[in-house]
Amino acid sequence: MRGPTTITPVPGRTDEMILNMGPQHPATHGVLKVVLGLDGERITRAVPHIGFLHRNHEKIEEARTYIQIITYTDRMDYVSGLQNELPFILAVEDLLGVEVPKRAQYIRVIFFELYRIASHLVWLGTGMLDLGAITPFLYTFRDREKILEIAEKTAGARMLPNYFTFGGVRRDVHPEFFKDVAAFLDFFESRLPDYRALVLDSPVFQARAVGVGVLPKERAIARGASGPVLRASGVAYDVRKAEPYDAYPELEFEVPTRPEGDVYARFWVRFREMEESVKIIRQALEKVPKTGPYKGKVPPRIKPKPGARYRAVEISRGHLGAYVVSDGSEYPLRIKHRSPSFANLQLIPDLFVGARFADAIAILSSLDPVFGEVDR
Amino acid sequence: MTELRFKKTTEFDEEVYAVHPEDYRALLEALKAEGFDYPRSLTGMDTGYGLRVVVHLYGMESGKKATVYTDVPYDDPVVPSATDLWPGLEWFEREAYDLVGIRFAGHPDLRRILLEEDWTIHPLQKRYDTGGYLLPDWQPAPWPETPPWEEPEAREEGGEA
Amino acid sequence: MSRMPLSTERRVYPRRVGYDPTRPRPGLERTAYALFFTALWVMVVLAYGVVPSVFRHYGWMKTPLGFAAFAAIEAVLAFLLASLVALILIVVLRKYLGKVQERVGPMHYGPAGAFQTVFDALKLLAKEDFAPKRADWLIFRLAPAIVFVSAFLLMVAIPVAPGWLIADLDVGLLYIVAVSTLGAYGVVLGGLSQGNKWGLLGAFRAGAQLVSYEVPLAIALLSVGVFAGSLRFTEIVEQQYGLWNVVPLFLSFVVYLVASIAELKSTPFDLPEAESEIIAGYNTEYSGMSFAFFFLAEFVELFLLPGFMVLLFFGGWHGPLFGLDPQSFAAGLLQSLYFLVKVAVWIWIFLWIRATLPRFRDDQLMDLAWKGLLPLSLAGLMVAALLRIFLEVV
Repeated sequence: MRGPTTITPVPGRTDEMILNMGPQHPATHGVLKVVLGLDGERITRAVPHIGFLHRNHEKIEEARTYIQIITYTDRMDYVSGLQNELPFILAVEDLLGVEVPKRAQYIRVIFFELYRIASHLVWLGTGMLDLGAITPFLYTFRDREKILEIAEKTAGARMLPNYFTFGGVRRDVHPEFFKDVAAFLDFFESRLPDYRALVLDSPVFQARAVGVGVLPKERAIARGASGPVLRASGVAYDVRKAEPYDAYPELEFEVPTRPEGDVYARFWVRFREMEESVKIIRQALEKVPKTGPYKGKVPPRIKPKPGARYRAVEISRGHLGAYVVSDGSEYPLRIKHRSPSFANLQLIPDLFVGARFADAIAILSSLDPVFGEVDR
Repeated sequence: MTELRFKKTTEFDEEVYAVHPEDYRALLEALKAEGFDYPRSLTGMDTGYGLRVVVHLYGMESGKKATVYTDVPYDDPVVPSATDLWPGLEWFEREAYDLVGIRFAGHPDLRRILLEEDWTIHPLQKRYDTGGYLLPDWQPAPWPETPPWEEPEAREEGGEA
Repeated sequence: MSRMPLSTERRVYPRRVGYDPTRPRPGLERTAYALFFTALWVMVVLAYGVVPSVFRHYGWMKTPLGFAAFAAIEAVLAFLLASLVALILIVVLRKYLGKVQERVGPMHYGPAGAFQTVFDALKLLAKEDFAPKRADWLIFRLAPAIVFVSAFLLMVAIPVAPGWLIADLDVGLLYIVAVSTLGAYGVVLGGLSQGNKWGLLGAFRAGAQLVSYEVPLAIALLSVGVFAGSLRFTEIVEQQYGLWNVVPLFLSFVVYLVASIAELKSTPFDLPEAESEIIAGYNTEYSGMSFAFFFLAEFVELFLLPGFMVLLFFGGWHGPLFGLDPQSFAAGLLQSLYFLVKVAVWIWIFLWIRATLPRFRDDQLMDLAWKGLLPLSLAGLMVAALLRIFLEVV
């Protein structure tokens, strides 16, 4: 039992039904509970509750050495597992003053974008499942499987590879890695038009998505929204451009934005991001040094100098930050993970109230939260 | 902004402001007016001698980054809320209250967010171990002799020197 | 650095009894489904052809005892037929969804998974049939029966070949409109009585949807009746020799197609049981056999609504007879086969739609019914009436 639902019936009002959506609801992508006031099918009030998946990573990490913590960061956004390691690693690298070799930077970028595609594929499948189409889910999971197999060959694990490390990556890539990635890109590009036809161009989908859950630009910025949610409201904020990391400054790509801010725009932006990721990986495959170290010089015992550093990266869901405070010992004083879905979920009362119940499901899947990272 | 008690340093590519808790709110208002419109993050932490709030801000137009922090003692950890300046900090402040125990004065809905309502402790404080039990030999460190912020007069002298 | 050895091929080992379930078996599947289809055909011939012909031939129908025996036998046969239809269609749906989604579908029980539904049904029989404490017990128990019986009653009205039918109703069209509306009662009552808010929402949606789509559906049926000048199915089908109704009554056909998908509560109109929105809607709290009755009724309707569509718009049993006497038993066999094949094609199209489209929203559904289909069906009725007058004048 969690505490009070915070919605109490209005005395004398009989047309409002109070409904607990979740935490075991099929469309809440895990363990979100939203207490809804419903007038027929129209939502009058919405109070989100999170924390059902809370592990207190941040306390556990204070009792772990820096190298052990990387494993924990993977577990936040488990859908795009590998991406979560990077902000923490970048922050510690800054504190340590470690240089990352070029080859490692490009390998990181390739993996980072592969996991972005994998995560967006999961979003596309489950999002369409929420909207009632069962088939895209199976298609996208089949494609994602190929990415996970590529990751498995090199890193030894699929969803949570624990592959990046301070100063580079943990081991060199598999000899067939670049060939596999190129083959996957060719395959994936041939699938994208199908997905476009099944989802974005489907009139039923457009009827469900256009003009639903509109988020104005100013509200999106003030609420701290990030990632595709923010870009669909017309703000071209992408951490890869705003504070570039790894090899991103040397790569050319667009930041797709759309002014509408509705569910359709958020779907469209994620679609375009998959295309941009393909572009980025192709460039990285060309530019990656064929030989060279995959890891920079890192002290054997990792003891960053006292200080604090906030670094952010653009993961599939948006601005993922890590604030690392070091007191000079082997254990961090404090690590704070700023997770994008956590901030994006604050939009629930803004977007839900006034929408129809079926719209709420579409809005939630367009926000694309992952509760491993919301609850940490 | 000149009459506030704070100290501005540059770490890496960010401007870091260490500010007196009484001037925390005024500094944030000044920064908001300066164009820092995007709340990146808000962290609550236990420094060993007190609790600290760290706010990370970003200016969408300028691309500038700012970090603001302030320390409050354990026995009265009250900090003014910035939720009305950046509504996006609402849940971050609730999280800092929930896990670290900082109370945000003026927050519209300061409830626990990740833990259940019936929790009595704030587990991220250093006095608890990872299991949530009190560490028997934990003592708060003494409050630092020199505060991290500067008086306005001292700052102006230092700036001109 | 040493690399962990990884097997490049992941493989599920075959079960001790049986075969490798990961391997697609197209030949076995085709054989199994051909046998299924044959079983269905035999059942249809038995229920609609042999038994009524025997009773009519010997004149047993005229005596009260004979009529009672006939009714009893037919009830059993129709129930068996309905169960067979549901059993086949459920596994066909799952296999077909598997094909669309590039997987193999059920593979473990029976040849190429053909007996999967039998085992599912046995599992449902063995499960506890649970009624929530807050449920209105009587109505909660009655609702699945209403749903199933209304679907089952519709089977009586179908003629599968000339003279092959259980009851030759002169108001066949009115009968199916009346009985299929009964099914909506079962769904709404089931949702309302279970004391669950999701069920309540499902009942609201089901009530709104089924009642709204009943109207264009009835008008589309009426336009066929007006065009044929009769409400009797046999006459409607006879009158289609030369030209199937789908050509002159195309508008009504489109209305019937859309409305019947909505009646089936299948995607894109599966709002009453939208599992990602309202859990399972009106059957949230049903378990065991009560749930199975809802399920069975849904698949019987998946057979019946395309069946009526074939009768009304696609010439029913019409097809080349190769010089056979239309009234002979051999011609009856052939014609019932034609009817079943046409129905199978339409079922395939319905499943195709189900596998492809996302779901509409509730208000869009209502808009479509009242602003789109209703005027269209009225236009279809007008076209039917004008054509009728024109034909009579000529």
